[in-house]
Amino acid sequence: MPGIDECLLDIMKLPGARGAAVVDWTSGLALGTIGESPHDDHEATAAETAEVARMAAEQPAFAQESARSGTPDEDPPASGVEDVIVTSPAGYHILRFVETDFDSSVFVHLWLHRSEGNLALARIRLGELARRLVLA
Amino acid sequence: MRPPASPAPTAPLPAVSPMLRRLAEERATGALMRESGTLYLADGQVVHAESPATPGIDVLLTAGGTLARAGWWEAVAAAGARQRVAAYLVDSGRVPGGALELCHLGALYDAAFFALAPTSTPARFRYGVSHWIGPVHPVAAGSVERETLRRRALLDRIWPDATVDTAPLVRLPDAAAPPLTPRRRAVLAAVDGSRSAAEIARGLGRSAFHTLVDVRRLAAAGALDAVRSCGRPDDGSSGPRAGAPVLPEVTPDPDIALLRRLRDALEVL
Repeated sequence: MPGIDECLLDIMKLPGARGAAVVDWTSGLALGTIGESPHDDHEATAAETAEVARMAAEQPAFAQESARSGTPDEDPPASGVEDVIVTSPAGYHILRFVETDFDSSVFVHLWLHRSEGNLALARIRLGELARRLVLA
Repeated sequence: MRPPASPAPTAPLPAVSPMLRRLAEERATGALMRESGTLYLADGQVVHAESPATPGIDVLLTAGGTLARAGWWEAVAAAGARQRVAAYLVDSGRVPGGALELCHLGALYDAAFFALAPTSTPARFRYGVSHWIGPVHPVAAGSVERETLRRRALLDRIWPDATVDTAPLVRLPDAAAPPLTPRRRAVLAAVDGSRSAAEIARGLGRSAFHTLVDVRRLAAAGALDAVRSCGRPDDGSSGPRAGAPVLPEVTPDPDIALLRRLRDALEVL
């Protein structure tokens, strides 16, 4: 059955992908990992990226923005944030929130080479793959 | 910079359960029954976990509308006897495969956290037993152990008083409380002076550990506290604070509330 591992394999096909992980941002738990991680420790990386994701998801500024733009007859998504992007001279990090029907706090973290990765393309594809993870 | 909670790679971790470690090493299959929950192993890997303190995967899936209650019971009836309920849910199109994995892993680590809580009751292992949910996404026993230790440290970093984890909770009137996230607002709305964190989690269809994180953050913000019993006989909630001084449950003066929280925090340090 298609699941976390298949999703991570698909993500690694993106140009410039160095590593990826499916992470729970409430606990900082890595539910699945693939490829490299910035300090060769996927669990430590997951705990760090989870803190960034949580800070973004819980800030009222971002939640209010999404509540305004959402259609009025539809509940706003739980976090209101789609993704968080961090750039550095050597790479890009995209944290994409995964929306599920059941209660969860999951995001996908993709680490890209700065020179080989295409941030705009990777962001769109990561969004599609994150949706497919829970809808396929 | 590393967070202080992650131990140096060379430092041996304290064993959460020496028995779990031994069973993982001998690649055992069966059910590890501890006082507060059960871990199911297959070839030494953890394949499922259950605890009375946490909502099961059926509660999580049906509360959010992923699956109708009837759909769950159909799957149990159709595939329970051959221990393939998870695969049946996916194959019959009731739950997408990735969603089931995420939900099941969440429930597994959630139940394992409580099942591996310190206890004085000896654990038992029944060889050969497997769970009817069937294979989903096995995880290494070491990963479950490390995560359980990390979660304990995380809770204590947020607010060091574990009384709120098990006791009935009560809201504190505090005008100075910061704005709440929608998730924490839902938890606070369920606090009624009698429900515990586990009961709130079940009612909301949420992971019990995730609810504990919100409860400890709310306690740190002064929005709730444990109901401290006034000399009542122990009602089974086994608080470690038998000798603690008893104060009124709700203090209208925010300064007193703040001082009381400070005192509680200092006491548990």
